[in-house]
Amino acid sequence: MPGIFGVYPFGEGRENWSASRFLYFGLSALQGRGQEIASVALFNAEKKVFNIITEKGLVDDLFRDGRKFPTSFLGLGLVSAFEDDGIIEIKSPKKLVLAGDGKPLLHKEKAEAFRTLAKMLTKKLVAAKDSIEAVAELLSEVRGGFSFIAITENQEMICVRDKMGLKPLEVGAVGFDLGAVASETCALDVIGASHTGSIKPAEVVIFDPLSIRRKAIPSSKKAHCSFEYVYLARPDSYIGNTSVYEARERIGEILAEESPANGDVVIGVPETALPFAVAYSRVAKIPNKLGFTRTGRHMRTALKPTQFERISGVQLKLNPIRSAIDRKEIILIDDSIVRGNTLKNTVLNMKRKGAKKVHVRVGSPALIAECPYGVDVPPKDELIGRSVSDKEVAQIIGADSFAYLSTEGLAKAIGLPSKELCMGCFTGKYPEKVE
Amino acid sequence: MKILGVGGGGREHAIAEKLCMSEYSPKIYWISEYTNPGINAICRSTKGEHIRGSTIDPGKVVEFAKKVKPDFAFVGPEEPNFHGVADALEKEGIQCIGAKKAVAVIEMSKAEMRRLQWKYDIKGKLLFKTFRSSEEAHSTLDKYSKTLTWLQNVALKPARQAGGKGVKVIEDRQIYLHDEKQKFKSRHFDWLEGYMKPYADVEDKILVEENVWGPEYTLHCFTDGKNVVGMPMVQDNKNAHEFDIGTETGGMGSISGPGNVLPFLTEDEYKESLEIVKSMVMAIQDMTGETYHGIVAGQMMLTEIEGPTVIEMYSRLGDPEALNVMAMLESDLVDIALAILDGKLKNSDVKFNNKAVVVKALSPKGYPDYRELAKNHPIDADEKAIQKKGAKLYWASVDNDGKKTITMGSRAVEIAAVADDLPTASRIVESCIDYVKLADGWQMYHRSDIGTKELLAKRQDLAERARSLYLQRKQNGTLGKRTDWLPGVGRVDPVQNLKKELLSG
Repeated sequence: MPGIFGVYPFGEGRENWSASRFLYFGLSALQGRGQEIASVALFNAEKKVFNIITEKGLVDDLFRDGRKFPTSFLGLGLVSAFEDDGIIEIKSPKKLVLAGDGKPLLHKEKAEAFRTLAKMLTKKLVAAKDSIEAVAELLSEVRGGFSFIAITENQEMICVRDKMGLKPLEVGAVGFDLGAVASETCALDVIGASHTGSIKPAEVVIFDPLSIRRKAIPSSKKAHCSFEYVYLARPDSYIGNTSVYEARERIGEILAEESPANGDVVIGVPETALPFAVAYSRVAKIPNKLGFTRTGRHMRTALKPTQFERISGVQLKLNPIRSAIDRKEIILIDDSIVRGNTLKNTVLNMKRKGAKKVHVRVGSPALIAECPYGVDVPPKDELIGRSVSDKEVAQIIGADSFAYLSTEGLAKAIGLPSKELCMGCFTGKYPEKVE
Repeated sequence: MKILGVGGGGREHAIAEKLCMSEYSPKIYWISEYTNPGINAICRSTKGEHIRGSTIDPGKVVEFAKKVKPDFAFVGPEEPNFHGVADALEKEGIQCIGAKKAVAVIEMSKAEMRRLQWKYDIKGKLLFKTFRSSEEAHSTLDKYSKTLTWLQNVALKPARQAGGKGVKVIEDRQIYLHDEKQKFKSRHFDWLEGYMKPYADVEDKILVEENVWGPEYTLHCFTDGKNVVGMPMVQDNKNAHEFDIGTETGGMGSISGPGNVLPFLTEDEYKESLEIVKSMVMAIQDMTGETYHGIVAGQMMLTEIEGPTVIEMYSRLGDPEALNVMAMLESDLVDIALAILDGKLKNSDVKFNNKAVVVKALSPKGYPDYRELAKNHPIDADEKAIQKKGAKLYWASVDNDGKKTITMGSRAVEIAAVADDLPTASRIVESCIDYVKLADGWQMYHRSDIGTKELLAKRQDLAERARSLYLQRKQNGTLGKRTDWLPGVGRVDPVQNLKKELLSG
C-alpha cells in the first residue's frame, strides 16, 4: 500500500515552481503508508528525461540535508513498505515514469505487475491518437485493485483509479497555480492545497500543460478497500467524502455495542486505535486514558518485515504508563491482530505494571486471508485469526477476554454497503476472481 | 426603434438576443472588432447592421452612431467604458447604457476602488497596499515583513482591470514552504510590472490584498444613478480546469438560481451585498460628480472576517455571468434601458424567473495563458442540435469572414441551459458539448464539474464554514476586526494603521 503523490503546475511561469519541495512534504504526510523506501522522479524539461532518486528508508532519508535535487517543476513520488517497490521508468517507445498503489492483476510479483502495466501504457500511448482514449482502453483491459500516477515525456500527468475504486486517489488545488494528486488528502493539506475532489472509480484524469481532461469507463461493481479505513489511511484524511477519523470513531462505537466488557478504563494502542478507544469509552461510559507513551519515530508495527523488527518495534514504541493501568481492569483496544505477538507483549507489559485484567477488543474483523492487491498480509499459516477461536486467542495473548469487530459492524462503520467494500482479508471473498 | 450595441463576445450575443426579443421590435445595430456570427445574424434578422471597428476608439463608435442615429446605445464590455465611449456618445446626444469613464474607474482601477471603499467606510473591505513598481513592492514587503503579518497571505493583482489575468493567490502559511512561496511572490511582482507596462492610464501598477477564503459570487445591478436594482446572484468559476485547479480565466462557466439567491447563500447575504453595491455606486458618484447609468456589479466573496466582501467591482455584466441573468430576465430589457435613461428606474420594472441556469464556456486549448495556440482554429457548431437538447449556444471569442468561423484565442462559445435545478441544467449543457468541434482537430476543453451536485456540495460546505464564523463575529462585535500581536512590538491593529495611512495620503 504505497503512498503516491504528484504535483502539476499550470500557466505562464509554471516552470518556476520547484516540485521537489512539494514532493518532500507531500510524501512525508504519506509516510504512514510505508517506511522502507522513498523515491521521487523529477522531469527535466530541457532534456526530456526523468531523474529518479531513491533511498531505502524514510522520506527524511531521501531528502537528507545537503542532498541536491535537480531543478524541476514537475514530478511524482512514492513511499512504500516494500523495498522492491519503486517508481517504474520506461524509456521507450515513449518515456514515462509511474508510481502505483495496490496491484494490477498482471503478474504474481507486484513490482513486475506495475512494470507490465507501464509497458502496456507506453505502447498504447504511442499507438493512439488521443492519450485519454489510450489510457481508458488500458483501464478497461486490466483487472485488479490499483491507483497510479504516471508522467510522460510530453508532460502529461496520467492519474487512474481501477474500475472497483479499491485504492483511493484524491485531488487538490493550490491557488491558480498547482494541481496535486495524492493517495490521501493529508498530503494535500500539508502542502497547503484544498481538497477539491476525488478521482472516481474507473476514471482516467490527464493533466497536460493546457488542460485537465477526465474520462470514465463503464465501472464494474465498486469495492473500496476496507483496510484503508481501519488501518492504512491517516485519521486526518478523507477518502472521497468520508472522514477516516469519523469512520474510526464509529468502529469504536460499534465495537462497544457488539462486545461490551467490564472495566475501569479504556486504553487504545497508539496510534491507529486511539479514535476507536475514544468512541468505545463514550458509548461504554468508562473513562478513556492514555495508556502508553511512544519512544522514537512512528513505526507501523504490523507492516514491518521481520519478526525481530516487529518485536523491537513494539518495545520501543509502546511504554505503558503505569499509573494509568496499575490495579485497574483494562479494556485494551487495538486496530488489528495479525500474528498476535505484538498484542501478547503489550498485555504482558500491562499486567507486569499492575493491570488486574486486560480485555482486548480489536477494531477490525479477524484477518484470515491474503490480499491480492498488495497489502502485505502474512501467509495464511501465520494468521492467528484464521484457525484460532476468540477464546483461544485470549489465552494465547494472556488476555481475560477477546473480541473482534464483525464484518457487518465494519461496513456499518465505514458507512458504505458491504457489497461496495472489499473485505477480502477478513472474509477470503474477493470482489473479482483472483488466482 | 433602433439600438446600437458595442462589443462582440458571448455576453454581447446574449444582450443582443434579449434586446431583439423586445416588444419594441427594435432594429439592432452593432459594432465590434470581430464578427460574432450570433450578433451578426440578429442584426440581419432585425434589418439592422453589424460593422467591424474598434470599440475602444470613441471616435469610431460615434461615427457609426451618427450614421445609425439609435434611440440609445448599449455597451457590453469594460474597456469601452474605460475609454470614454459612453461620454463621447452622450456628447453627441446619444444616451447610453454604459458607465462613463469617471464612474467606470470603480472597475478600471482596483486600487482606486479599494481606496473609495475605505474612504466611504463601506462594508466588506480588505486590507491592501498598492505599488507603482516591482521594486517598490519588494522593498515595502521587506520593510513590513515583521510588522504586517497579513502580507504573508495575499492575493497579488494587477492594480488595473486587465483582461482578468495576472492574479496569484499566495498562502504562505506553511513555514517549511516559505522560501518557495517567497520566491514565487517576488517573481510575480516582476511579472506584474511587465504586464502592466502597456497600461499608462493608471499610476498604481501592483495591488496586494489580504488573502481571504469563502465562496465567491457576483451580484449584478441595474442603476440609473438613484436606484440600484439587483439581479439574481451568479457564481462564476475562475479556475481554468476541473477540480478548481489551474490558471485564472475570465470565467469557465457560471451558475444561478433557482431564484435570486444561490443555493448555498442566504437572503440576508443577498440584501447585504446589494447594500454594499448601492453604497459603492453612491460613493463613486459623490466622488466624481458623474451619474452612473447602466450596469454595476460586485464580485463578492463570503468571508469569515467581513461576511459579504467586495473582491472587485464591474462596470458591466460579467462574461459568462451575463448569460445567466439574461436567461432569467423576464422584463423587457428595452423598458429597463429606457427607465434607466429617464432616471426613473423602479424595482418593479425588473422581474426575473425562478429557474436555474448553468453556463459553460468551451475554449480551445491554450486559453488563457498561451492564446496563440488557441487562435485561428476553424470552429463548427450544430446550433440546431443544441437547441433540441434544450440549450442555447452563444458565440464568444470567434471571427466570421462570411464563409467560416475561426477562434480568436479566448473562450470560443458559451452554452447555456435553463432548468428547474442546477444539476439538471448542467447535464443538459454536457449533452451538447460534442456538437461543437474544431475542424482542424485541435482540442477544446470545458469544465464538466460546473453545476454538478458534487461541486455544489463543496460550495455549500465552504459557505457554511465561512458563514458560521462571520455570524459569530457579528454576534460578538468582532466583524471586520483584525488584531495581531507581534513579539517585541506588541498589539497591532492593521485596520487602524491602514486608515491612518490613507488619511495621510
